[in-house]
This record gives sequence, C-alpha cells and structure tokens, in this order.
Amino acid sequence: MVVGDVSTGTEVAVVGAGPGGYVAAIRAGQLGLDVTLVEKDAYGGTCLNYGCIPSKAMITATDVAHSAGNAEEMGVYADPEVDVGEMVAWKDEVVEQLTGGVEQLCKANGVNLIEGRAEFAGNDKLRVVHGGDGQGSETITYEHCIVATGSKPIEVPGFEFDGEHVLNSRQALAMDDYPESMVVVGAGYIGMEISTVLAKLGVDVTVVEMLDEALVGYEDDLARPVTQHAEELGIDFEFGLAADSWAESGDGIVVTAADEDGETTDFETDKVLVAVGRQPVTDTLNLDAVGLEPNEDGRIETDDQARTDVENVFAIGDVAPGPMLAHKASKEGEVAAEVIAGEPAALDYQAVPAAVFTDPEIATVGLTADAAEAQGFEPAVGKFPFSASGRALTTGEGEGFVRVVADEDSGFILGAQIVGPEASELIAELALAIELGATLEDVAATIHTHPTLAEAVKEASEHALGHAIHTLNR
Amino acid sequence: MAREFKLPDVGEGVAEGEIVSWLVSEGDAVTEDQPVAEVETDKAVVEVPSPVNGTVQKIHFEAGTVVPVGDVIVTFDVEGEAAEPADAEAETEPEAEAESESKSATSRAESRTFAPPSVRRLARELGVDLDAVEGTGPSGRVTEGDVRAAAEGEEPAAAEAETATEPAETTQTTAAPSTQPAATGSQEAAGRDRTLAAPATRGLARELGVDIDDVPAVEQRDGEAFVTAEAVQQYAEGGQAAQAEAPAAGAPRQYAEGGETTEPYRGIRRTIGKQMAESKYTAPHVTHHDTAPIDALVETRARLKERATEKDVKLTYMPFVMKAIVAALKEFPILNSELREEEEEIAIKQDYNVGIAVATDAGLMVPVVKHVDQKSILQVASEVNELAQKARDRSISREEMQGGTFTVTNFGAIGGEYATPIINYPETAIMGLGAIDERPVAEDGEVRAAMTLPLSLSIDHRVIDGAEAAAFTNQVMEYLTDPELLLLE
Repeated sequence: MVVGDVSTGTEVAVVGAGPGGYVAAIRAGQLGLDVTLVEKDAYGGTCLNYGCIPSKAMITATDVAHSAGNAEEMGVYADPEVDVGEMVAWKDEVVEQLTGGVEQLCKANGVNLIEGRAEFAGNDKLRVVHGGDGQGSETITYEHCIVATGSKPIEVPGFEFDGEHVLNSRQALAMDDYPESMVVVGAGYIGMEISTVLAKLGVDVTVVEMLDEALVGYEDDLARPVTQHAEELGIDFEFGLAADSWAESGDGIVVTAADEDGETTDFETDKVLVAVGRQPVTDTLNLDAVGLEPNEDGRIETDDQARTDVENVFAIGDVAPGPMLAHKASKEGEVAAEVIAGEPAALDYQAVPAAVFTDPEIATVGLTADAAEAQGFEPAVGKFPFSASGRALTTGEGEGFVRVVADEDSGFILGAQIVGPEASELIAELALAIELGATLEDVAATIHTHPTLAEAVKEASEHALGHAIHTLNR
Repeated sequence: MAREFKLPDVGEGVAEGEIVSWLVSEGDAVTEDQPVAEVETDKAVVEVPSPVNGTVQKIHFEAGTVVPVGDVIVTFDVEGEAAEPADAEAETEPEAEAESESKSATSRAESRTFAPPSVRRLARELGVDLDAVEGTGPSGRVTEGDVRAAAEGEEPAAAEAETATEPAETTQTTAAPSTQPAATGSQEAAGRDRTLAAPATRGLARELGVDIDDVPAVEQRDGEAFVTAEAVQQYAEGGQAAQAEAPAAGAPRQYAEGGETTEPYRGIRRTIGKQMAESKYTAPHVTHHDTAPIDALVETRARLKERATEKDVKLTYMPFVMKAIVAALKEFPILNSELREEEEEIAIKQDYNVGIAVATDAGLMVPVVKHVDQKSILQVASEVNELAQKARDRSISREEMQGGTFTVTNFGAIGGEYATPIINYPETAIMGLGAIDERPVAEDGEVRAAMTLPLSLSIDHRVIDGAEAAAFTNQVMEYLTDPELLLLE
C-alpha cells in the first residue's frame, strides 16, 4: 500500500462510467449491492461525451441546415447561415445535460462515485490514482469487479493525434471552427458519419480508404446509397490507398498515401481526421495483478455471464469480445450486475441491432440472407423500397429499402437490413420481432400506422409472404 | 387471471387418475388447499386441493373420466395475478402435440430455439435447458408454459409417454360410460364478442374455419379472453370428433332380458383385475396345503394380548404368523424373491417386507409392513393395524403399498380352511391363512380337538420347487406350533 492511501471496501467496483459501466453500477445499486464506480475522465464515457451523442447532435444540426438549403423541390428557398461555434455550444449543452443525468442517476441509486484511474493491485483490490496536481491515490477492496474501460481510437503510425493537424473523431467533433478542407482516413462508419457532417458544413472532404469500398461489412446494396449520396454532397473517395505520412505545408498539410504497389499520392488539405477503428483500453488496468491477459484482439475473454476467467471479475462493453456498441455494453452491464446479485441473468440475446447515422441511415439486426442460408435456414426474403412509401416521399427521402429475412418453413424472422430515412428507429421493431420469435405473419398482420415509414416493415414482411400490396411480389 | 391446474402426480409413478367426483362447480369461489375433486388412482382415493385462492372458471373433465397425469383438469380465475400463458393444453390432445413436435423439428435449423427473452430468463431461473424443450407456440416457439411444464419434471413427461402408448384406452374410457348425448370432452362454443389472439393464431382459425370467438379461452390477458393457436387447433379437432361421436352415442344399447346393472370396471377394481390376470397367466401356480396345530400359540397370544392392550395395541395372530414366515424365509430365501425373466435372473431379496392383503369396500389392497425381521411383534402388530385401517378408509399412500417381498392373505378372517391364493406378482410366493378353529387332530393314535391354523402356500413354480414349498411350510408350522422358538429369532 502506498503511503497516504485511503482504503475503502465495496461489494462491486465498476471501472469506467460509460454506457456499460454506469448501467452496471446503477443496476447493481438497484439490486441492493454496495457499488463504487470509478471514472477517470467524464461520466457517460466515450458514447455520451465524444461519440454517439455529440456526433448525432452535429449530424442533426448540419442536417437541418442542409435540408433547409436544399428544399427548392418543395418550394423552399433558403440559404441558412450556420454559426458553427453556436452549433458546437448547443451540442455541448446536450452532452452536459445527459452526463449530468448519469451522475444524478448513479447517486440516486446509491452508487459511490470516485474520480481517478483504476488499476488492479491484487485479485481483490483496485488502486485508484486521482488526476490533477495532488496525485493522491486510494485503494478499493472489492468482492466483485466489473471492468468497463471501453476503447480508444486507433492511431495510424506516423499520424499521432496532435489535436491541431491530426485529429481523432473526438477532436473532430469538438472543433468549433471548421477548416476549408479535410482528409478523412478510413471509410468505416465513424469516418462516413463525420465526413457527412463536414461535407454538409461545406468542408471539402476527401476520404482515403485502404480497402476498395466504404462501409465494409455491410452488404453492397446497403452501402451503395450512402456512398452515392456522399459523392453528391461533394465527398471524394480515394480507395485502395493507405495513409502513409503527413507534413506541414504552408498554412496546411500534405497527406501522403500509398497504394499496394507503393505508388504514392499527395493530398493537400488543412487537417486530417484518422478514423480507422477503435481498440480496447486494457493497458492502464495492470491486468497481471489479477492474472488476466487480453486475447489476440486485445479484448478480455468473457463467458455468457460477462465473467472473465477470474471468478469475481467481469468485463463488459468494448473491452469484452463482440461489436463495440453502446447498447451491447449496457446489456452486458445489466447482466454482470444481475449475475453478481445472484440473479439468473445471461447474455442470451439473439441479435444486436446496429445503426450507421449516415445520410441515408443504415441499420441492421440479426442475419442477412446469406448468413441465414449458411446457418442452415431456407431464407424467405422480403423487400420494400422507400420509393413506394408515401411517408418517405413526403419527407423528400425516397431512397433505400427495408429488407426482412425469415425462415421459409416456420416464418420466424431472422434478420433485417434497412437503408433509408430513420433506419435506426425502424430497426427496433424487427429487433423485437427476432427476440420474441415473431413470424412474418405476426408482423404483416399487425396494423401499422399510415402514413409512416414503419409501414415499410409490414410491407417487406408481406412481400416475403408473397402478398405485399404496394410492391410487386416475388 | 386464469390459472390452469393439472392433475398432479398423486403417488409415485401414477400415470392416470379417475375423477370420482367434483367437490366444486364452475363459478364457485375456492380457497387455497380447499379440496376441489376426489381422484381415484390405481389404489387410493385422494382429494386434490386447490393451489390458489380464486374462482373455478372451468372444469375440464366430467366426474367418471380417467385423466392422464399432467392434463389440465380445472382452470381457476385468480384475481390480481399476472397472466400466465397456456400451460400445455396440447397434452390433452396427443395428436396436436405430435403435430407441433414435427413442425418444430423442421423449423429448427442449427438447433436455434425460438423463445422470447422473458421465457429464456425463466428457463435459466428454473434450470431448464431451453433447447430440450418442445415448443407449443406458433411454429414451435417455446412458451412460458412449455418451460414451466418442463420444469415440473421429467416424470410428467414419462407419464405422457405412457399415456401416449395407450391412447385408445384413455379415449374409450372417456367416451364409454357416457349415456348423455354427444360431446362430453368436446368443447362448447364460447361465443364471445371479443377475443385476444396473436395474428398468426387468427390466421390459423380462419384456415381451420373456426370462429375465434367460439374457441374456449383458458387464459386471460388484461381481463380479456386470450386464445392460443393450440386452443384453436384443439377446438377445431374437438368439433369434428364430437360430430363423429354423436350418432354412436345416440344408438340404444341392447340389454339382456330381465335387465342388468352395470358397474364401472375402473380404478381399483380394474387394477386388481389386471394384476390378478398378469400373475395367474405369467406364473405357474402350485398351492401347498397343510395345517398347523397351534394350541400353544393360542395360549401365548391370549396371555400377551392383555399386555398389548395395556399398550393400546390390539394383538391378533397376524404378527406371530408374519414373524414365523420371516423366520422361515431366512432359511428358505428363495421364497423371498422375484423373477426377472428378461434379465434372466432371480432376485433374492434381503429385505423382509410382508404385504398383507386387506379386503376393503373398494376391493383388495395390500399394505406392506417393511423390515418385519427388525421389528418386535408388538411393533408389527401396531403397524398392521394402522395400515389396515388406512387401507379401509382409503387414506393409504401408494408408498405404503409398495416394496413388498412376500404376501400373506388372511381369508380365514371371513371363514374357510384352504384356498389357492394368487401370488402378488412379481413376488414368487403367498401364504393364505384359513380360519383358526378347533379341529380334530390325530396324535399318538388318539384323535383330539386342537386349535389349528390351515395354511395355503402358493408358489411360482418357475422359481420354487414343490419340495421347497413343503419344507418352508413345515418350518412355518414349527414356529407356529412352538411359538417360543420365535424368541430365538
């Protein structure tokens, strides 16, 4: 023990107050456990502070401006003036309100909040080093520990984040003055979302992607409308190029990228955003002290109760295996807390929905037709284009479709893919259908409000059954 | 909310029970543990208590019906309780179950089991392996009821299998005793104005030409009748069955001239019948007769009887006979055995559990006194009395009638000397006792009146030879003639 350490005991110590950790802490508190939540930076974690929430705020704000300025078709002529500083300030307010809410909820549920960076100091205690000048530290002895340290942006060699010329997504979303041009390295969902925001703010965006397409992992017909629309917004795509180096040049910088054969291309720009993915944060934890070791992916292996190889240590969210998604982290947090409280909880969900907040949005849940077939199902696929949806057309967004994948024999819905307006909201109905084991007929026979985008879900289900009304049947 | 109550396993391994009478009617309020029905199983009549406070919503079987264990017999309406999805009504309809089984088998690729999250959690809570549960929901989806049914044990499942092998019997007994026209088991149209059901269920109803408002609802949700796909299926099939049944039931039965009365051949009577037939047609019976002079025993018993009375025990001859038999069995263990033909082995029992045939109003019952060898005569006496009383007032449990290794039948209590008792199969020997009475006995060239006990020992001649039977009987007689020898036991 370090001299000056204060030692406290707790039943459950949660490391990290992101959407995994704070949810776990609150649920544990609800279940009557004595909980201590340690956060080194900001309540709400990456999601609330630097990721999902700020990006969605910026996406919506820029959408409002963009839509208003591009509604001549509807007879609206406007040239909105955008004050980026105010826009960012509004975004910060939203974030503040939400993170403040998290803190209050934690306290209201009896969660002890401790600020600092936690590391293991044996298999029953954590050492928490407080930030700031004092550099004080304290020791927390725990019965159970939930590791929820999340992830951080991956740095490309040669592109260390400096916040000035080389930015990560967090820094890009915090800019209160936008440059004229930017290079975005990486055409994954983060790169695509931020590129769209930038383009709508009038920034000249060039996306440099090592692979030969954007949004890898999503089916072609889902990604295509997004890249097409991005190009219409003026985004340039440079596929098959890997960012190699950068150098200052006059007022701006030059980013050099190389193809497979080593041929290089230079891009003159103001700043470069590197969004090539995220990596789990385990290096600050001193995992050795509990006898844990990250796997090849840098994750901490867990079982279906979110438990690690060490009986009383759980890992949830981005440090645990699986997709790096806030809602998946929250689910794991709930389960870990319930398991610790002795409840029969388990990670037994059928599907994790995912959404990409590009323009148009993409959302998926469960199996694609190919995956269903690979798993031995005979897939029945139904599709409904938004171009046939009354509501989609009245919002001026008629591109995209809803696709439902079911088991031909039983009618059970196995998966769905949506690209188009409000895809991120529409996917929820299908996620519920999958969890409940609903059949195509269950969804098709449920009355959906007219005129709404959700009707497309019903129509796609009917299409799979071969009796859609508003589209030709297969 | 509706709460279904299934015929419980009222005794170990009981597969079915006859509903003798209903103690409540539909609409009656019941309190928890209040008896709602009298159910007669193979060998006992038990009162089935209500598990809840509420009202009787529906009685599913008429009195006189033989119902497999696990079938829903009554639905209670319990106020303020959360809805509970239908508890496997499919069980009442073996065909429907078979159908849903085959359906679900095809719908499961890669062994994925379709069940809502709440059901998955329940399965974990109850320790049920969801993948091993046959779903009865739409397309084989596993419901809360399925999980609860699975949690209630493998025993009901085994019982189901048993009844499934004898569907003819079950359905016949359901229909046969009925002199009322048509549709005892089939359901009447409910004729509601409003019915809750899943869209797929409504589709099924249309497909089968059933008005969903007519399907009896065994469940409620938010105070509204809720109908499941199985209920629709069942109602559709039941309707057809009722139509087919009607003309048959309407045809007058031909009676012999002079008339006759009929009594049901069911429950205990039928069980006795089955067992007697099995024993007699399986084991080649040989009966050995002899008579024991028991003057000394009569004297001894008379003397001890008073002492026993002081201890509130009625001392009959039976405990002495049982002790004598057990002492002899130790010398001739082959008579304390069971033949397991299929395993090609004769099991010689190490326990000395003596069954005593007791005549009751309902028929013959055989309570068993366990470990007679380890008990005093007084203990045996008090147990015999207690068990016999329980058998007569039918409060005896199934366990108290199991585990016997040798049986004694005291037909002499009513009168007579010799009989040819039928072995309590799969035991291999049974001792019949005639009436104890004064009879002429020739001794040393003189004939005198002696107290005697006639013995009739039936043996399974596959296992026991005639000589062994005779030697065993001699041994028993020796103990009875000279009861002091029992002191050495």
